[in-house]
Amino acid sequence: MIKIAIPTYGTGGLNEVMNKRFGRCDTFTFVTIESNQISEVKSVGNHARGESGGVGIQATQIIGNNGANEVIVDFLGPNAANSLNALNIKIYHTPRGELTVKELIDLRLSKKLQLMTSANVGAHQGMGKGMGRGR
Amino acid sequence: MVKPKIICVTGGKGGTGKTMVAVNLATMFKNRGYKVLLIDGDVENPNTYLLLNGKLKNKTEVLYFQPKILEDKCNKCGLCAENCATHALLHIKDSIPIPISTVCSGCKLCYKICPTNAIEADLKVIGWIYTSSAFNIDLFLGELKPSEARSAVIVKTLMEKLEIVLKTDQSKYDIVILDTAPGAHCDVEELISQADLVIPVTEPTRFGKLDLLRIIELINLLKGEYRVIVNRSSLLGYKDKFLLELVEKDIDVLGDIPLDEDVVRSYCQGIPLMEISRNSDKNGGGYKSFNEIFENLLKWGDFSK
Repeated sequence: MIKIAIPTYGTGGLNEVMNKRFGRCDTFTFVTIESNQISEVKSVGNHARGESGGVGIQATQIIGNNGANEVIVDFLGPNAANSLNALNIKIYHTPRGELTVKELIDLRLSKKLQLMTSANVGAHQGMGKGMGRGR
Repeated sequence: MVKPKIICVTGGKGGTGKTMVAVNLATMFKNRGYKVLLIDGDVENPNTYLLLNGKLKNKTEVLYFQPKILEDKCNKCGLCAENCATHALLHIKDSIPIPISTVCSGCKLCYKICPTNAIEADLKVIGWIYTSSAFNIDLFLGELKPSEARSAVIVKTLMEKLEIVLKTDQSKYDIVILDTAPGAHCDVEELISQADLVIPVTEPTRFGKLDLLRIIELINLLKGEYRVIVNRSSLLGYKDKFLLELVEKDIDVLGDIPLDEDVVRSYCQGIPLMEISRNSDKNGGGYKSFNEIFENLLKWGDFSK
């Protein structure tokens, strides 16, 4: 069984567009795949998104606690990458563009997505302007 | 038996000449027969020893706490992860927490609250301390390991080393000069808070003024006493305007140092400008300014041995 988590805007779901920021998205949409078909879709709110630090770790806990074994992301910071790797959760990278959860799942099932093994942005890149770099 | 007088040289803006000033103040005190220790607290970029042509010795590791989970004792309750302020323990229900050492603050809360004593103290190297001696000035220098973030820990270790030395012999040093990093981060705060007198070093530019005002804000928060040195004062002809702006803001100035090729030469040679054996041009702008600054410094603080 494969369970894939995708960071999404709003209330999530198959038709929602993926949120490029992993740790600070509004929701995570969990899609369960059995026999190459979608068997369940569930959205979970991301309570960690407003915290000042350690968000990648907390977001990973949400992923893990909901039983996902894979994620599809765009930008991933160092804490998130280290945490997902520590739990052996596979990290797939989205191609460019505004893709929906359904489109990403289709790409994943047709094995068109690349695996990522480490962070592709520095710490705190998902924070808004004026929040400081927390040196 | 008097405690040593501690002078902190700081500034906010990088590249204003803190280290050059710290080294020459140390040299002038040494010339007058004081026993001097210079502490390099710019641990991400320590370079005092270069200006003194010194060789670093006695490399000692600075170790820092990190938790180690004993898997056979862990009951997976997650209490440690739940209470960790920096989320440095990754915990999924019914699993053993995984320490994320890069964000661990070393507070040891997890170690103390684990109900089954399943957390053991582990250690990692986050930097080093060195000692040196040159031109009759002793030097303690700290270096943070690249990619580590906690510069203040190395700085605290340097000050603890001083405390240990003074416990055995309180009169070992008459003067201790602290050279800080640029910025106003907690490594700088630690050194300013330990000083009797603070000397921010600035330059006569808008950039210099902005960072000077920030460091003065920090010094005031720490209730420190300070007087400014304006380095490279002849830069672009802004000196008089700049000094007037400081007067208007009630900022006391210890002195100013003009651009001087002999200063640059001393910097490149690794022999301080004010070092007697160097035979600097005693009519040079830099040399005369340093002498004037030193006299003002002696009037400002009480430096009886």
